[in-house]
Amino acid sequence: MKVTRVGWKRYINGVNFGVVVVILFVMLPIYWLVISSLKQPASLGATPPQFFPNPLSLANYRDAFHTYGFGIYFRNSVVVTVVTTILVLFFGSLAGYGLGRLPMRGKSAILITLLIISLFPGIAVVPPLYLLERTVGILNSYQALIVPYTAFNLPFAIWILRNYFQGIPKEMEETGRIDGASPWKIYWSIVMPQALPGLFTAGVFTFTAAWTEFLMALTFNNSNNYRTIPVGIALFGTPFNIPYGTIFAASVVAVIPIGILVFVFRKSVVSGLTSGSVKG
Amino acid sequence: MAVVEVAKEAEVGSPTKQRPKANKQFRDRNQIMLARLGWRFTTPALVIVGAITIFPVVFSIVLSLSNVNITGNGFQLQGFTFSNYSLLIHSSEWRYSLGFTVFYTFVTVFIEVVLGTAFAVLMEKLSKGRGPMMALLLLPWSIITVISAELWQYVYQGTYGVLQYLINSIGFGKPVILGTPTPAIIAMMAADIWKTTPFVAVIVLAGLVMLPSDVFEAASVDGCSPWQSFWKITFPLLRPTLSIAVLFRILQAFGVFDLPFVLTSGGPGTSTTSLAILGYKVMFNNLEFGPGSAVAVSATLLVLIGCLLFLRAFRSQVNGGDL
Repeated sequence: MKVTRVGWKRYINGVNFGVVVVILFVMLPIYWLVISSLKQPASLGATPPQFFPNPLSLANYRDAFHTYGFGIYFRNSVVVTVVTTILVLFFGSLAGYGLGRLPMRGKSAILITLLIISLFPGIAVVPPLYLLERTVGILNSYQALIVPYTAFNLPFAIWILRNYFQGIPKEMEETGRIDGASPWKIYWSIVMPQALPGLFTAGVFTFTAAWTEFLMALTFNNSNNYRTIPVGIALFGTPFNIPYGTIFAASVVAVIPIGILVFVFRKSVVSGLTSGSVKG
Repeated sequence: MAVVEVAKEAEVGSPTKQRPKANKQFRDRNQIMLARLGWRFTTPALVIVGAITIFPVVFSIVLSLSNVNITGNGFQLQGFTFSNYSLLIHSSEWRYSLGFTVFYTFVTVFIEVVLGTAFAVLMEKLSKGRGPMMALLLLPWSIITVISAELWQYVYQGTYGVLQYLINSIGFGKPVILGTPTPAIIAMMAADIWKTTPFVAVIVLAGLVMLPSDVFEAASVDGCSPWQSFWKITFPLLRPTLSIAVLFRILQAFGVFDLPFVLTSGGPGTSTTSLAILGYKVMFNNLEFGPGSAVAVSATLLVLIGCLLFLRAFRSQVNGGDL
């Protein structure tokens, strides 16, 4: 017989229990990251570990910016990521429109090739790109990262945008064409405004990929002035003295922009994941 | 395609109906014009991608078949040789890395998919707050891998790490987690599983939400247990979504680099050295670009073989259809 529970007890059931387990699974490590960044540097190595830091301290945040120059890395990451995202959206939306809407031959072959390229392991292109950039002399610069990031994020962005363009009704575009608007005008003032949600999706994925990329940033830009956040954080301290507090303070600062972005655009992210391709 | 439809509409009761030939010519010209426009729009992106991804991969193969000398501000290629590859095949380190990469990939992806599906099924039952839960699940995915690697390194740390403390407090002594091969491998897998499982859950959940609900109602009316209806209805319907997710995860995991680089530096010894780590070390620590490229090419081949085996799955993506 089914008993109807009243009051707070009605919230006790298998589903809610499971959800709490999932929340703990995700949040416990993140809790540890945040509170460790707020511990006094001396109590980071305390045994037993402090589960609730007392007193709280912002010393690690001060160290990250003052002693370790995290501000430079943050600036570099912002420049590289923003420029990459703009370039990818510009070239990607043009190509996505062509491949999604216009009658071209060989579309499938192009699309499949792009999909396979988007899965290439980074290590496959790092040695030749490193040698090329070294020969041309652009190691340690913003373009050293912006150029390969753009190229590597284009295939996936083209896919997302192509799928999106395919779903937009064609009437307005045709009216424009009959009215004699130029192709560029049709693209820019009729198609693009309708494709905004697709652009958000492609933008969030590109931003996240560029913000988190490590291998190329590590090999192409190892001078301190051009390091991005992942490289900066990985190279804090020495192998024998890893300043975890500073690392975690910097990490929290690095997670905030992307966390906000993903929270605001979570629907775009999910729609990008279901529109075909999957990128991790 | 767009123009074809315009033309079709125009055919109905319009003067062009009497002139099908002229109409066809007009249509063809228009198609050609639009196709040309398409190429003009697509070419810049394709040139960028080709020049910076396909060309380097081909160049990688050239490097792996040459003696490469690094000079002051450039490099020299000398001769054609298979020695880089024979070096590889005779090296126990490469064989271990290959085995480790494949083993690591399959184990983590399997666990991530099973756990992720469980999470998704659970979330689907949730009546309220699914949106914020989605955002929560996407959080680990959006965290820079280097950061999560540093975090787990701190958790696994050998003298004051919280995990060691917890294991000790339930009476299992003080294991040296990152300093012993097997625990280090498990620790690395756990870090990957933490970061990727929620992401898999989001993909599966998105697939679950789109399934038709009437089938499940019918099943529950017919007295199907939840377990039965999962295996008999949900799972078969989800299979296309799941297979694509699994395939992509596997192919990406073959290139794993960031996590072992920061968490274990490929150690202790070489126990967590993936192909990408090995390639990186050979190239940038030993400055041997020939053999290093050979390692990189071997990782690429692994991915390419996977792609070709599942070409059908890729093709189905073009049509947006199922497998």
